[in-house]
Amino acid sequence: MYGKGLLKGLGITLKHTFEKDITIQYPEEMPFLQERFRGCLSFDFGKCIACGLCTKACPNNVLSFETVKEEGAKKKKLLNYTIDLQYCLFCNLCVEVCPTNTLYFTHSFELTKFKREDIKIVYHRPPELDLLPEEKETGNLEVQVEMPDITEAEAKRLKQLEAMKTALGKNPQKVLSKVLDTEEDIAIMANLMASDEKKLFKMAELMLGDREKARKIAQAFVNKEKKDRQQEGGE
Amino acid sequence: MSITINDGVFIIISGLTIVSALGVVFSRNIIHSALFLVLAFLGVAGIFFELGAGFLGLVQILVYAGAISVLIIFAIMLVMNVEAEKTNLPNPSLKTHLWGACLALLLIITLGTSIWRSELFQVLGPPAVSDAVGLLAELMLGNYVVAFEVAAVLLLLAVVGAIILARGVEEE
Amino acid sequence: MEHWFLNIAHWLTSWLVSLGLAPVWAEVILLVGQWTCIVGIITLNVLVLIWLERKVAGFMQQRLGPNRLGPYGFFQTIADTLKLLTKEDIIPSQTDKLIFKIAPMFFIIVSVMLYAVLPMGQDMAVVNLNVGLFYFISVGSLSTICLLMAGWGSNNKWSLLGAMRSVAQMISYEIPLAFSLLGVVMISGSLNLSDIVQAQHNLWFILLQPVAFITFFIAATAELNRGPFDMPEAEQELTAGAFTEYSGMRWALFFLAEYTNLVAVSALAATLFLGGWQGPFLPSWLWIILKTYLIMMVFMWLKWTFPRIRMDHLMSLSWKVLIPISLVNIVLTGAGIEIFRWMGW
Repeated sequence: MYGKGLLKGLGITLKHTFEKDITIQYPEEMPFLQERFRGCLSFDFGKCIACGLCTKACPNNVLSFETVKEEGAKKKKLLNYTIDLQYCLFCNLCVEVCPTNTLYFTHSFELTKFKREDIKIVYHRPPELDLLPEEKETGNLEVQVEMPDITEAEAKRLKQLEAMKTALGKNPQKVLSKVLDTEEDIAIMANLMASDEKKLFKMAELMLGDREKARKIAQAFVNKEKKDRQQEGGE
Repeated sequence: MSITINDGVFIIISGLTIVSALGVVFSRNIIHSALFLVLAFLGVAGIFFELGAGFLGLVQILVYAGAISVLIIFAIMLVMNVEAEKTNLPNPSLKTHLWGACLALLLIITLGTSIWRSELFQVLGPPAVSDAVGLLAELMLGNYVVAFEVAAVLLLLAVVGAIILARGVEEE
Repeated sequence: MEHWFLNIAHWLTSWLVSLGLAPVWAEVILLVGQWTCIVGIITLNVLVLIWLERKVAGFMQQRLGPNRLGPYGFFQTIADTLKLLTKEDIIPSQTDKLIFKIAPMFFIIVSVMLYAVLPMGQDMAVVNLNVGLFYFISVGSLSTICLLMAGWGSNNKWSLLGAMRSVAQMISYEIPLAFSLLGVVMISGSLNLSDIVQAQHNLWFILLQPVAFITFFIAATAELNRGPFDMPEAEQELTAGAFTEYSGMRWALFFLAEYTNLVAVSALAATLFLGGWQGPFLPSWLWIILKTYLIMMVFMWLKWTFPRIRMDHLMSLSWKVLIPISLVNIVLTGAGIEIFRWMGW
């Protein structure tokens, strides 16, 4: 019979008309995502052993990190970890290669940013990592993610701070000569900073801000250390 | 002598018809000429309506304004390959002008005398028949049925001939 | 409720006459008022129709359709209209300016003229024309010229191709459209639309002339340039056919005219085949509106179900299928009428 197919088509559209709509009204309703959905690539600072396998696995050079090695220590210490998400092709190679499951994909897929610089995700070493070594054992840490919703001035300042920290870590003598006068004082302060990262952070911050205040505080640190040493020697 | 609404409407419609007929002749662009022709046909249809011959007016619209002029425009568009502005230029030769003037004069004299001699100038009033379509049908399919059917056969022959011409001669 | 509009008209006329106006001029003013009402209703109705079309299309594809503005997205078309009204009137430099400008106006005028003879209720045709059906067909044929003007005036190959296609299509489908209506005319014995409605007092013509109805429906879909016969506007091939170069209010006029034609043809189908304004309980003008909307829903259903067919298939459907069918329908109807007459019915 002619027209049978036409009637069938009409029947199909009529049937669909009264079926439930499949639209998901996105900003109000979130879509259902499968378990293995690859959203934003994220990083768990506490778990990282700074082995560098991820950077080698990545085909697009998305991942990069900086480490320090304390004198006498066996392990490298991770300073920061950067995921430049604009080049990421979500291939999953880094996640597969990571021995400690540090990298993982979240379900967050709203990755659009207003500025190109904001796409880069930088994880800084959270201060608790050095304060509470027993918590490090349990791995029960809360990672402070540097959220990219900061202003441009702030971003610039943070960048400078980052540079200052590295400078202080790598070449303390040269930087400290600006605030401390004697060779002896500089050596003491450098030692102090190498042993205590908090002090390094504080110095870096002060060096950027008030130079005079930095001088005073550095002197105070050195004096305190000298006093401590004298007491030790006295006993 | 006062002007009634009917007179006013007639003056407007006939003015429109004449202006668009002049437009057909004087347009430089042949597409514009064809569109003016549509307007002239519509004006003629309006005059039919004015005279109470609604059916004839509608035939005028359907056949002339709706179909024939579309065919004319179609043909023009399909065969035209020069700029539209230069498609309907006045003929420069004096001889053709003279011939045209003679022909127009002849037409005016013929039509004028026939109108003058007829009794159309008597005011007849509105048409008395209410069912003009029925009357037309009676005439066409009653008194003049042979002529009507012959015309139909003629048209059929024309259609068949057109189809054969369009198909072309088949290769032996 | 039945005589609301008639009462308003009577009251207006008598009021105008009581002001000392000649009855002729009162009639003229009433006519102008009727036209204004028709144009206003058409324009507002198009807002509803476009919303309805988008909603229906959405539901058929299991989407929601417009739902952001107002309840169920009802104000979306109003917002769209405001946007179109405030847009710049762009006229490309290489167009045939005059033709380009007047084509949309002619198109909408022709569309509105169709409403003159449609009986929108008992005794509610603007002009109760003796040859109403013929008027509808012949005035409807004028819209081809407007499309041709738009296509030519735009000086754009897609416009011209779209116009050529639509004109070829509309001329071809006018024949089966008119022929399919002849069956109805033969049974009712009149070209007057009100008489045809009266003749359906006992039995709707869709039952007496089912073949004619289907032929009419297919031909009308092609005449309206609606899917699946929307070759003239085939978005995927011709951008927007004859309307490619149009924007803003001129484009909106074309859109308005297309929907106006849709309403007119649906109302005609309701008048000829579904008993027009006749129906129980409800007032007559509500019945014709309901029937018209029913037919329009079927038009939308077809449009959002079927894919566009090819141009040569379209032509062969008209010339090789619809015209023979409608001719056979005329012969059978004539024979049927004679047989019934012979049986003394």
